[in-house]
Amino acid sequence: MVRDYNNRHALEQKLRSAPRPAAADHLMVGHWRAMATVLARAGQAEAVRQSIASVPELSLRFSGPGEWLVVSEVEAPSGLVRRLEELCDGGAYVVDQSDGRVVFRLTGPNVRSILAKGIGLDVHPATFSLGGSANVLCGHIPVNLARTDEDTFELIVPRSYAESLFDDLMRMGRAFDLTAAFSD
Amino acid sequence: MASLITCPHCGVRPKEEFAVRGDASRGRPEPMDSDETWHDYVYVRVNPRGRTFEHWHHVAGCRRFLVVERDTATHEVYSVVDAAEFARRVER
Amino acid sequence: MSGYRLSSGGLIDRSKTLSFTFDGSPLRGFAGDTLASALLANDQLLVGRSFKYHRPRGIVSTGPSEPNALVTIGSGARTDANTKATVAELYGGLTARSQNRWPSLAFDIGAVNGVLSPFLGAGFYYKTFMWPKQFWERIYEPFIRRAAGLGRAVLERDPEAYEKSWAFCDLLVVGAGPSGLMAALTAGRAGLRVIVADEDFRLGGSLLSTSETIDGAPASVFADRTVAELQSLPNVTLLSRTTVFGWYDDNVFGAVERVQKHVAEPSSKLVSERVWRIVAKRALLATGAEERPLVFGGNDRPGVMMAGAMTTFAERYGVAAGKTVALFTSGSAGYRTARTLSAKGVAIAAIVDARAESGDQAPDGVRVIRSASIVDTKGRQRLKGIVVERSGFEELIACDALGMSGGWSPVVHLACQRGAKPVWSEALKAFAAPDVGGGLRPVGAANGIYTLAGCLSDGAEKAATIAADLGFNAVSAAVPVVDAEEASSFTALWYVPGAKSKAFVDFQNDVHAKDLGLALREGFGHVEHAKRYTTNGMATDQGKLSNINAVGILAGMRGVSPAEVGTTTFRPFYTPVSLGALAGTARDEHAAPARKSPLHGWAMKNGATFVEAGLWHRSAWFPRAGEKTWRESVDREVLNVRANVGLCDVSTLGKIEVFGPDAAEFLNRLYCNPVLKLPVGKARYGLMLREDGFVFDDGTVSRFDEAHFFVTTTTAMAGPVMAHMEYCAQALWPELEVRFTSSTDQWAQMAIAGPKARAVLQQIVDGDISDGAFPFLSARKIVLKSGVAARLFRISFSGELAFELAVPAGNGEAVADQIMEAGRPHDICAYGVEALNVLRLEKGLLTHAEFDGRVTPDDAGLGRMLSMQKVDFIGKRLSTRYGLTAADRMQLVGLKAVDADKDMRAGAHLLKEGTKPSTLNDQGWVSSAGFSPVLGHAIALAFLKSGRERYGEKVIVFDKLRDQEIVAEVCDPVFVDPQNAKLKA
Repeated sequence: MVRDYNNRHALEQKLRSAPRPAAADHLMVGHWRAMATVLARAGQAEAVRQSIASVPELSLRFSGPGEWLVVSEVEAPSGLVRRLEELCDGGAYVVDQSDGRVVFRLTGPNVRSILAKGIGLDVHPATFSLGGSANVLCGHIPVNLARTDEDTFELIVPRSYAESLFDDLMRMGRAFDLTAAFSD
Repeated sequence: MASLITCPHCGVRPKEEFAVRGDASRGRPEPMDSDETWHDYVYVRVNPRGRTFEHWHHVAGCRRFLVVERDTATHEVYSVVDAAEFARRVER
Repeated sequence: MSGYRLSSGGLIDRSKTLSFTFDGSPLRGFAGDTLASALLANDQLLVGRSFKYHRPRGIVSTGPSEPNALVTIGSGARTDANTKATVAELYGGLTARSQNRWPSLAFDIGAVNGVLSPFLGAGFYYKTFMWPKQFWERIYEPFIRRAAGLGRAVLERDPEAYEKSWAFCDLLVVGAGPSGLMAALTAGRAGLRVIVADEDFRLGGSLLSTSETIDGAPASVFADRTVAELQSLPNVTLLSRTTVFGWYDDNVFGAVERVQKHVAEPSSKLVSERVWRIVAKRALLATGAEERPLVFGGNDRPGVMMAGAMTTFAERYGVAAGKTVALFTSGSAGYRTARTLSAKGVAIAAIVDARAESGDQAPDGVRVIRSASIVDTKGRQRLKGIVVERSGFEELIACDALGMSGGWSPVVHLACQRGAKPVWSEALKAFAAPDVGGGLRPVGAANGIYTLAGCLSDGAEKAATIAADLGFNAVSAAVPVVDAEEASSFTALWYVPGAKSKAFVDFQNDVHAKDLGLALREGFGHVEHAKRYTTNGMATDQGKLSNINAVGILAGMRGVSPAEVGTTTFRPFYTPVSLGALAGTARDEHAAPARKSPLHGWAMKNGATFVEAGLWHRSAWFPRAGEKTWRESVDREVLNVRANVGLCDVSTLGKIEVFGPDAAEFLNRLYCNPVLKLPVGKARYGLMLREDGFVFDDGTVSRFDEAHFFVTTTTAMAGPVMAHMEYCAQALWPELEVRFTSSTDQWAQMAIAGPKARAVLQQIVDGDISDGAFPFLSARKIVLKSGVAARLFRISFSGELAFELAVPAGNGEAVADQIMEAGRPHDICAYGVEALNVLRLEKGLLTHAEFDGRVTPDDAGLGRMLSMQKVDFIGKRLSTRYGLTAADRMQLVGLKAVDADKDMRAGAHLLKEGTKPSTLNDQGWVSSAGFSPVLGHAIALAFLKSGRERYGEKVIVFDKLRDQEIVAEVCDPVFVDPQNAKLKA
């Protein structure tokens, strides 16, 4: 994707220190990620979901009935909006949120213990399956939680809360020596 | 109060994710309904002991208003439905 | 000497000696000791003074029911008062202090209360300190507070960290004794997600303190083996040092884990305590049973303890409670203790059995006195002997420790915390757990089963049933064989007659049997009244030992069954939980999240001072070198915006994208003013009402295309407005096709205001923004010269020529930097919310200082906005009712200080000149006030009775908080540029 180097990440101030070697439990902060809210029109929810789900590089995160955050690691923000509008073909409204959300990727053997300190959702592998996603509270902060791999979860948070959530996650992971860095 | 609410869209969730708005049993009056009807709608609440229908907003989840049918004495929850679904049901 | 360490035995590690201090004296114990067992091993019998009479008291129990052995552990900020020595795990370097004594534990001045005790009966304080009334706060209360109280809280900041965690399971087992472990094993093997929580640091419960053997090995070996297997199962979580303190709706349990209360030097990586919220599909209450004390004369002498506690001290900790031990029992338990101690070489003075006969077996050569009772004890700070009465004859028997046992009560607290009362069982002579459905079932001793084999099989059976219920294929765990089962029976004995000295019911609160009699005579015989009148059961132990006897005594005195007396109400918490643990991480700056604007970095670079507005940190003003007060900075910023141009961060305003064929209709019903025909490319000021007709919020609504609107709200009401819109769309008008989502965080939004705003902005915006091309109230998607896609609005909250520019949040800082650079030749300045407030005040523009929930559009001078032609909008119907249209309502006006050097403050009240300040004379209030640098004097917005008719009148601005009265002139609320010439330039 085309990178806009005038675009500042919400955690630029927080995450400036030189990256330590990543521990087993590690927090990656997604730097270049495009995201959009998709709001399906009445009666179009299933059709919209299917057309987006058919594209492998687009990841659907459930936000509510007929509403998703769609994440792409490939597209630029404007490209993602165009792509989604084409895919939905008038069946949904698309709102760019690439600058309004920050993605945290938490991975490691203790990830569920860490998440349990803030999130009141059962994330046992049998209950929260791969590809599952949900809007939840992490402490006092609203996030979208998704399981993107065996022991990997992504938390998407409104930008204004990003520093607070980062502090919270690092504290939740302190017992496990959680490390953090930008993903690229 | 319940500790957990089973949201029809999100599953079992802690009560901290919700905000309770109050009585869901009466619909909004028509514009030309009587002063008394409007006064009752805006100001009068029954506060029952026993079964009640309430609007619970899933603020930190799907952001849908739900109608929670619960018992104010035992805190047992009997049903949870989406408010739009509930409103359409009442209309019929 | 009386208490001492046995030469062998116990589940302690004798190779690990631990040094600790008690009241400054160095003592030693072993790893595996509790503070209580170590104190007893060191013959420290006296551990505290009682609450009211300051009587010397010793250790009574080995668990959380302990009423006497409350000590203060630690020092400095890490001090924990009122810690029960019986549950405090011993560690090297532990420092413990006794409480409620002065000057020392052995010599306590307060003990004079004991001498005065005939005058200090139950209700004494209520009766004595009632009058004169004014004495209460100044004399009685401080006196009582000093005399009473147990440990003292420290005032230093708590340095410990705490946290909370959620947990989910199929089965929660509360208690890791024989039935709990057996249940966990059965369920764990069947594949259920199991959590076992036990308050002890070692799992096993009574298995760790019985002399019985299982499958030919000591019971503790079975416990260890079972724990090891459970640990190996990935689906089982074992939580030791974890007290399940509460049972809540939907089978959610609260538990507190003491993560590192038992270490001298805590790790900075770990918390001190962790609160668990455990969501359990099923739970088993395997909390065991509590032995009952006997209420007899002198039963509080140090050296008198529970018979079962003596057994535990001997079996688990290798500590004998005395050299010569007597037992007083109404059941088998006394005999069991005698056999245990005797086998360990402790001399048994006698077994005093309240019953006439029993099949219980005393150790060889031990004297059993049947149909007998103890009526008094001898000794001062430690027991020297007991006075036994039988058939009218008294006998003094020498002993240095006495074990008492009045039978057993199942520990059913959790099952009673949601309203169900425990149920009296005539068979058990105890209150049993109520039937609270399948979510929580008692098992083992908590279920009234008192044999080891019975507990093991009850645990296995209940777990197997639960596994089957939840659809698991239960693997039947073979129940191990208990060799030579101990018998267990007792007769209920609530009160031992003939007491020659005080017979205590509640040790911690010094309630004795006569107090309960007094309560009944004075009409407080109901169990809840008697509790409050006598304070029985109101101490930190919540009557774990005393309540049952109090109920029995009341029943006896009233001549009814304990079933009729009933119990007091059970509530969380089962044992005290520290406030730190309950707060978790939500303290100090983490009490609430901080929201930061995308322009936070820009504001920092420009030297902003920040102010908290809700969760947001907003830039308040931007001090420059030489400016000594905030007012200097704010005045400069205001004047510069009026003369040149300024840039203000308004990113915190709520932003909502609204779509759909019915979006216009939807918004038209939400706002009191018309929205339906808002042209594409235009913005409009909008006012939302509540259904009761008062103003809810104001903001702007813009239309980007037919079916796409953009709504802004105030910062404070962003959340409530979104929720309100969702309510209307979902619950009121689900038939409208409208969808919306918040884009607050997506946009960095900045106001560029001042006569030179256009000149500055034109340099970075691609396209013509002249007044002709981009007139007042334009709203369009645009592109900046840098290529950034943006939104531009020609709206103003300052009365100046102004634009609001929104760019993607990540680009905000770079664009703001660019604007500052482009504005440098035009003397641009950054301005904060304080200057913003003065600018809007000078123009009579309103905020939630005015819209305080009591104000109608007409009150605020916005009555003409109400579009009564609309069929319906939220608030329409009630906005026309009489009270909201009365002519003498408080109306928005401006106020000018008559003396230029006087200032006004919001909150001040308005009075007619020459009237006294009174509610009757109140004419209104000041909603916002400030200094206008343009006018050079204080100005204010105020609500004044029939205010619009009173321009030119002088009123008193009465500020009681600052004891100030000044004269102000009522005027139009628009102070600057009433023709809006600058706005439309």
